[in-house]
Formats: sequence, C-alpha cells, structure tokens
Amino acid sequence: MLQFIQQNMVEPMQVDAPPEDNDNTEEDPFIVENPTLDLEVYANSYTGLARLFRLIYIADHCPSLRIEALKMAINYVMATYNVSMYTTLHKKLAQAVSAPVLPDVAVQSTSQDIPTIDQAWVDSRSKKAAMKLEKFDTDLKNYKSNSIKESIRRGHDDLGDHYLDCGDLVNALRCYSRARDYCTSGKHVVNMCWNVLKVSIYIQNWTHVLSYVTKAQNTPDFPDIQGKENNMGIITKLKVAAGLAELATRKYKAAAKLFLQASLDHCDFPEILSPGNVALYGGLCALATFDRFELQKQVIFSGSFKLFLELEPQLRDIIFKFYESKYASCLKLLDEIKDNILLDMYIAPHVNMLYTQIRNRALIQYFSPYLSADMRRMATAFNRTVPALEDELMQLILEGQIQARIDSHNKILYAKDVDQRSTTFEKSILLGKEYRQRTRMLILRAAMLKHNVQVKCPTVNSNLNSDMSIGSGSSSHSLPRN
Amino acid sequence: MSSSLEQIVMSTRSLSSTGDFKELTALLPKHIEILTRNHQHLDNVLETLDLGHHSIGMLAVMYVKMNLFANSNNSTLEQFKLLLPQLQEFIHCCNKEQVLFAWETFADLCHLITNQLIDFGIPITGIKLMMKAIRKLQTRDTHLTAVHADLCKLCLASKCLKPALKYLEKDISQIDTGEDAKQFLLYFYYGGMIYTALKKYEKALYCFEVCTMTPAQAISHIMVEAYKKFMLVSPILIGKVQFLPNYTCNLVKRHVKRLCAPYVELSNVYCTNNCDEMKRIIRKYEESLIRDKNLGLANQVLNSLYKKNIQRLTNTFLTLSLTDVAARVKLSNIAEAEKYILNMIEDAEIFAVINQTDGMVVFLDDPEKYNSPRMLAKLEKEMEECVELGKKVLQMEEEVITAPTYIRKVCGGNEQEEQALANSPAQNATTTQVQGKQNTYTM
Repeated sequence: MLQFIQQNMVEPMQVDAPPEDNDNTEEDPFIVENPTLDLEVYANSYTGLARLFRLIYIADHCPSLRIEALKMAINYVMATYNVSMYTTLHKKLAQAVSAPVLPDVAVQSTSQDIPTIDQAWVDSRSKKAAMKLEKFDTDLKNYKSNSIKESIRRGHDDLGDHYLDCGDLVNALRCYSRARDYCTSGKHVVNMCWNVLKVSIYIQNWTHVLSYVTKAQNTPDFPDIQGKENNMGIITKLKVAAGLAELATRKYKAAAKLFLQASLDHCDFPEILSPGNVALYGGLCALATFDRFELQKQVIFSGSFKLFLELEPQLRDIIFKFYESKYASCLKLLDEIKDNILLDMYIAPHVNMLYTQIRNRALIQYFSPYLSADMRRMATAFNRTVPALEDELMQLILEGQIQARIDSHNKILYAKDVDQRSTTFEKSILLGKEYRQRTRMLILRAAMLKHNVQVKCPTVNSNLNSDMSIGSGSSSHSLPRN
Repeated sequence: MSSSLEQIVMSTRSLSSTGDFKELTALLPKHIEILTRNHQHLDNVLETLDLGHHSIGMLAVMYVKMNLFANSNNSTLEQFKLLLPQLQEFIHCCNKEQVLFAWETFADLCHLITNQLIDFGIPITGIKLMMKAIRKLQTRDTHLTAVHADLCKLCLASKCLKPALKYLEKDISQIDTGEDAKQFLLYFYYGGMIYTALKKYEKALYCFEVCTMTPAQAISHIMVEAYKKFMLVSPILIGKVQFLPNYTCNLVKRHVKRLCAPYVELSNVYCTNNCDEMKRIIRKYEESLIRDKNLGLANQVLNSLYKKNIQRLTNTFLTLSLTDVAARVKLSNIAEAEKYILNMIEDAEIFAVINQTDGMVVFLDDPEKYNSPRMLAKLEKEMEECVELGKKVLQMEEEVITAPTYIRKVCGGNEQEEQALANSPAQNATTTQVQGKQNTYTM
C-alpha cells in the first residue's frame, strides 16, 4: 500500500511537467544531509496518517534521521489498526539498520534499541480490525434495513473511519463517498466533503480535492452552517485543502492566494497540515508569484497572515528582506532553510521551481530602476558568478521578463529602448502580409466550396465510422522529392 | 473494319456536324469500350476522322491507344516515341470547344501521358505539351484544371521548376478537377513541393495548408503527406508550427496528428530550441524520414533551428564572443559559428559585425528606419495589393447577394428545398448546383 501511495505522489507531477524544466521537478531520490529539524516537535504537530506519511518521507530522504523517524513512526502506528503499514515500516527499518550508510556514532548508538517486529501484535491487531470491520458492517446492514437515513450516514462514516485507521484509503474513500446519498443537511454535506477531501489528500488525487472543495462551497446553506465561529474553521480547512491542490498542480499564484485566506485561530487540522506549513507554503508561493505591490498589500500588511508568519520567523525575515530589496541576504536565508523545506512532502517537489522564480523576481526587481547595470556588481548582489548570472539574465530576456540587452564584452546590462515607429512599421507590414495570405485563402476556399471540391470516401455511406479510411490517391509516393 | 467501328465513325461525324457535342460526349464511354475491343483497327478509324472537326472522336481513339499502351507489359521507349508525336499533334491542334465537353477524358489522357513520360525517364519533354493541354482546358487563366497537377508533377520529376510557377502564382477562382479531389490535392501538394525546392517557404506553406484544409469525409494520403511537409516547412518559416485554420474539417484535425507522430515530436522539440535534442530526434526517426523522403527537409529544419538560436542571441546581447556563440547555440566550433553568422548577415537575417582581432560579435539593430523611398514604394505596393484583394472579396460578395438562388433563399422562397439543404449538408446526393448555392450561405 505504501508503494501505491508513493507512486501516486509522483504521478500528478509527471503529467503536468512541461518537458523543458524536468531538472526542477526530478522526483529521483534526493538526499538531505544536514537538516536542522527537531523531529520530535515536527512529528507532534501532526496526527494520523499525515504524521506517518511525513515521517516516512523524511526517512526516505534523510539518511541521518532515517532510523529515528522510522522508530517514531512505528511507535505511532502501534496505536492504530494499520497492520500493513506496521510491517512495511519494520521492513524499512531492518533495511536501514542492516545497511548503515553513515559512519555516524550517534546513529549506531541509537541502533542498539531497535524495536523488533511483534508478530503477536500483528495477529491480534488484524483480528481486532477484522472484528471491528464486521461489527460496523452488520451495524450498517441493520441501519439499511431500517432505512433511517441519519444512521446509515453515520454507519458509512464509521466504516470509513475504520478503514482509514487500517490504512485502507481506497475503501475509506468509497465509504465516505457513499455517505453522500444519505446527507440530510448542509452540515452533513460539508462533513462528507471534508472526509472525502482528507482521504483524497492522502491519496494525492488533486483534481478530486478541488472538485470536492467546490462541492462543499456550493452547498446551499454553506455560509450559515454551524454558526459563524465554526464556519470560519470550515472555510479555512477548504481554502487550505484547495491551496494544497493548486500547489501540487503548480498553480503557485492561486495556491498563494488560497493559503493567504486561512485564519490562524481556526487552523486546526493536524491530520492534514500544521499552521506552520500553511505559513511556509503561502509565504513561498507568494514570494515566487506576487509583484511588489501585491506582496506588500496581501502578505506584509495582512493581519491574519502575519500571525502565521510569526510561526516561521525565518520565512518572515526572508519576505521582509525581499521587500527591502536586500536580495543577497534574502537568498542566503532561503538557502539556509532549503534543507528543511526539502523534507516537507508536499512542497519538496516544487522547491527548486519556487526558488528559481523567487530569484528571477529578485533579478527583475533589481534591474527595474536602471538604464544600465554592471553585471559584476549584480553578480555579487546575487551570490553568483558573472557567467551564471549572464545565463539567468539571458533566459529572462528571452522570456520577455526583462527588457534589456547584454554587453557580454564589457559585462554591462543595458535597458533596451524600443523604437516605437519602427516596430509599428514592422507590425503593420506583417499584418498586411497576413491579411493578404488569409484573403487569398478565403477566395480559394470560396472557389473550393463553390465547385464542391471534397475528399470523398471511396466506400459510399460507410464513412461515418471509418475514421482511418484513406481517400483517393496514393500516387504521390512515386515521386522524387526535393 | 467491323460494322461497330463504322457506326462509331458515322455517329461521330453526324453529331459533330450538327454540333451536338453533348450527345457525343455521352456516347464516349461506349465508344471507348468498342474501340478497345477492336484495337487493331485504331489507325484506320483515325484516318477517317478530321482533327479539327472531330476532336471528340479523335480523343476517344487517342485515349484507347494510350490506355492500351500504358497497360501492355512490353511497351518500349521506341514505341512510345513513335506514339508521342501523334499525341502531341492531337493536343496541339484539337478543337478547344469540343474538347471542353469531354474534358474528363482529355484529362485522363494527360494523366496517362504524364505517367508514361515519368516511367520512361523523359519527363521534361512533356512540360510544353501539358502547358498546351492546360490552355485547351482553361476558360480563363485563374481556372484550375485537372491537368495542372500533371504539369507540376512533370516539373518536379524533371527538376525543371520554373514553368509551373506561372500557374502556381495565379489566384484560383474556378476549379474543375474532376469527381474526387485527388487532382486538386495533388496540384497543391506538388505546388508546395515546388515552392519548397525553390526555398519560397511562405508559398509552400500556403500550398500545404490548402491541401490539409480541404473539406474531407476521409483523410487522403496526400493530405497526410502534405501535413508532414507542412510541419517541417512551418518551423523553417515562422519558427513554430502554425495551427491549422479553424475551418479545417474536424476529421483531419482529430486524426492527422496521430498519423504523423514523428513529425509532431519533431516540431515539439523544435519549440524547445534544443539543437542536440533535435539532432537526436532526427536520428531516431531517420528511417521514417527517409521513407517519406523528408530527411533533407528535416535537416533544413535543424539548420533553421541553429539560425533561430543565433537570432535569439541578437535579441539578448549587444556583444558576444564567437566562442560563446558556439557554446550557446551548441555548434561544434568557432569556425562553424562564424560561418553561420556570416551567412546570416549576408541574407540580412541578422545585423552584426564580427571583430576578428578579439573574436567578438557585435549585434546591431535593424538599420531599416522605414524612411527610404524604396520602403515607401514597397509599402504602397503592398497596400495596393491589399486593396485589390479587398475589392475582389467585395465583388464576390456582390455576386453572391445578387444571385437569384440567394435572393430566393433570403426571401424565404421554396421552403421544401430549404429543408432539404439544412438536413443534408454533406450528402453527395445533392447536385453540384445545389451544393454550390448552399455553400454561398456559409461564406
């Protein structure tokens, strides 16, 4: 099951990946060497499967924390019915212990008290899980025979909860979705949507997530469900779930906007994300996609998001440094937190992409007030060598983000002055050409239609379904080409 | 001479003298059948007919002769050379009015001749003949006949391309290319190839586009081949693959990409501006490119990618060393980079100066300031062309709105007919006349 999840984790990225920037999105196992992460604190900010998935992600990508993470995961999984996860975790642990990649003293000392697989626990848990499943199943059947809508809905939910506890996500999703037909109030619909959302996030089916967010928001009496206070909580939940989905599908700007709408006081869903995550995802996405004005208005002066930023002081510093145009220190700070961010399962695949975008934005902002700029000084401001900077600038110019040209001989960047008159002439000549071409085509096409020129199907009346049938003539193949 | 042949001669003579060519043309298939059965007496029949007066009868005989010759297995060049003067004389001297009645048979005869000429490796001898044949069938010089494709084919086969240009440059207003669209497609396909060979890519692209956007109920091989070339010429000309116009029929839009997958991949790679990747793809699909005889064109695409990349450099740099140019465009060495840049400067594709002492290239702006008399003249000429075209469209529109059928339709005349039109837009059953009328509405 674990493998299933990991495959799914990769898939949505690969489908969306434009071929040219595959270096940014490589899912191949990157290794984080020096994280400054307090695993205990980190793990405690999540519950349920989120904690397990995150620990496993860290174990996969950080050798120095691998054993500790796995041990914590095992301890945690003992409290659930997730037997298959338990065995896979043990397998992983055994692998990690038998192949000590690091000659680290600390790791070896901790490896003394490696927990061994407890077969008795496995057996008893499996039995218990099966019993529980049976109980819920018969309950549900009873409810169904009595056809009390509310009970059936609860029965489905209970069954879903149990499946989730066992780590069977597919069945959990099925049960939660089935509850849909038995929802009697808007509150139930929203509740059902949240359940489905949770599982969809675990499976990383992002289109599903987005569609259920809209579904929940479109619930008829959505605004006044459960009173104002509770309502904010639900809105925050939905916004964050949608933001996560947008992030995963690389729509960073949309993601940033959604994360920025979260409210800290109601940000309580450790089974998905911690408030710190919201701050991090929102902050980074905003930094990468917002212009200076948006950044000021929506992030720095935002009362609600400010509270989030307090949770991640480093990120707050980065955003302020960026806004103050202290790019060198901003980029340096970004590099410092990079290792930790790379251990976050949701944002890690996008870190390189976001970082490049942040850099580009910084470059554009740096150059915007100048007519010409010395590339050597620019390079020092951005911690780069001159040739590397030149490459970056070239890319930006080609994409049209900076209107400038590079004097590679003297290493100076000049702002480009556009001759409006010439470009207007150029454009109109081009347009005239296009017009002539199109009109000619129009005249010809009129003639074609008038004289009924049409490729016809050789077999009469069978042309509706035979999409591959080849019409007249193949003599074209017998000719020399030039 | 058998009695049936005598009967043919008789009917030909009498119908020709009364001027009832329509009737005679209707009899043509029957005549051809009988003549084919009695092929040993063909020359005798020929003697009894007069070229000027009995062109349709002569056409039948000539067609039968040519058809028999083409279908026999042991025909030789010598025999063909004996036959050719006869054919030439016929095409040169036949009566235009008469031949026009039987233009389909006449065109078939031309196709047969063309194929034989190419089979015997003497395509160039037929070019003049086909030009003559086109003149016989044309009612005006913007009239596309079924013989146009033959001319283009011969020009291509003989690598003598100039004669076809005169015809290709005409804007076509009347089309008679026969029942199916084969000759029409072939004309534009060959036309595109001719223009490609002459490196007039703009016109080539136009021809290939016409080929692919032809209304279709099935996808013709010719269209697929044209689309392949379209996808190769388009990057050379505009640096990306042009979209097919949205009036392209849906069937083509849906399936044509699947039918030429290597080309789609090629054009996708082109858009990434990666020369090495492009080389790899061309090598990967070398086999199918050779099979389609498009390898040369594909290599030209690669070449144009190098040029495009150099052009991109001019947009980003004021000065750049030759080594950097070579490295950034991924050329193998400085000499090659210099060669490319020199060629491009000569063709006015970029504006730059090479400083050989320190190996720097200085990129300049386009020196054209649009203030010379020459430019003014050019602009005026182009505007005139645009106005001319606009007038033509207006005139066409006028023709449509003054057409009786259109007026009847607008005034809600015959409702039954209307219904029939609305329900059967693509059915072949509707007559040409009806179809023509219907299409005027869609314009």
